[in-house]
Amino acid sequence: MKILIADDSRVMRQIVIRTLRQAGHGGHEIVEAENGADAFSKIAETSPDLVLSDWNMPEMNGIDLLAQLRASGSPVPFGFVTSEGSAEMRQRAESGGALFLIAKPFTPEAFDEALRSTGLV
Amino acid sequence: MSTHLPAPIQVRELLTELLGRDVELSPGAPLAPGPATPATIASYVDDSLQLAALVVCDLPLSAHAGAAIGLVPPDQALAAIADGALTDALAENLYEVLNIAAAMFNVDGAPHVRLHALAPAGGPIDPQLMARALTLGRREDAALTISGYGAGRLSIVLV
Repeated sequence: MKILIADDSRVMRQIVIRTLRQAGHGGHEIVEAENGADAFSKIAETSPDLVLSDWNMPEMNGIDLLAQLRASGSPVPFGFVTSEGSAEMRQRAESGGALFLIAKPFTPEAFDEALRSTGLV
Repeated sequence: MSTHLPAPIQVRELLTELLGRDVELSPGAPLAPGPATPATIASYVDDSLQLAALVVCDLPLSAHAGAAIGLVPPDQALAAIADGALTDALAENLYEVLNIAAAMFNVDGAPHVRLHALAPAGGPIDPQLMARALTLGRREDAALTISGYGAGRLSIVLV
């Protein structure tokens, strides 16, 4: 499966990839994006099976990326990986059409649970 | 509503989980950044952009934490400490550590805060921030050791 990871922090993209591997989800094709705008164009170009996105990013944040994807008709499965884990943020994520929200710092178990909940793996 | 002052156990759990390493924590003396003791100052703001809190890390902790999150060899942290300043790469990594550290403040019932800016250890620091970092009152001061890297000091100051 192809997974697009959107995060403005290079080290955090590496940590997400490492954690996926630790969670038993290594071997997927990974596409990296630096912000929401970069992610939007790379999603159109590469058609990933899942998007894992940070919330706070320059250029375009994660919730705006999700809104723009849905407005453009893209049904790509979408989850947040963010330091914003409050009930309000979770509510906004869910009503925007996100499948899950993994709060940073996270564990491999949290990733495994979230990915399994999508039915994609 | 006032900003939540994270308890030492929250700091230890956050760093342990984020760095994927054992982190030991014990009470420490307040950090006093100055020319001879370079320190990183991270400033956190509330949703109306008012300064709410600072996290201050001495140079050793800044270097060890910045290296540990990116699996950078410990030697590079030691080299930065000897140089008296963080490299750009360590500063970028530390930014993400302190960005995620905002989660410690964001407990139920407390105002939402987020990382606003980071002045890395060894670089110029706004004197006003420096003065705020020295404020006594609602603060937490700790000595930490990151397993496989090294020890340093951290202060959380509510303003």
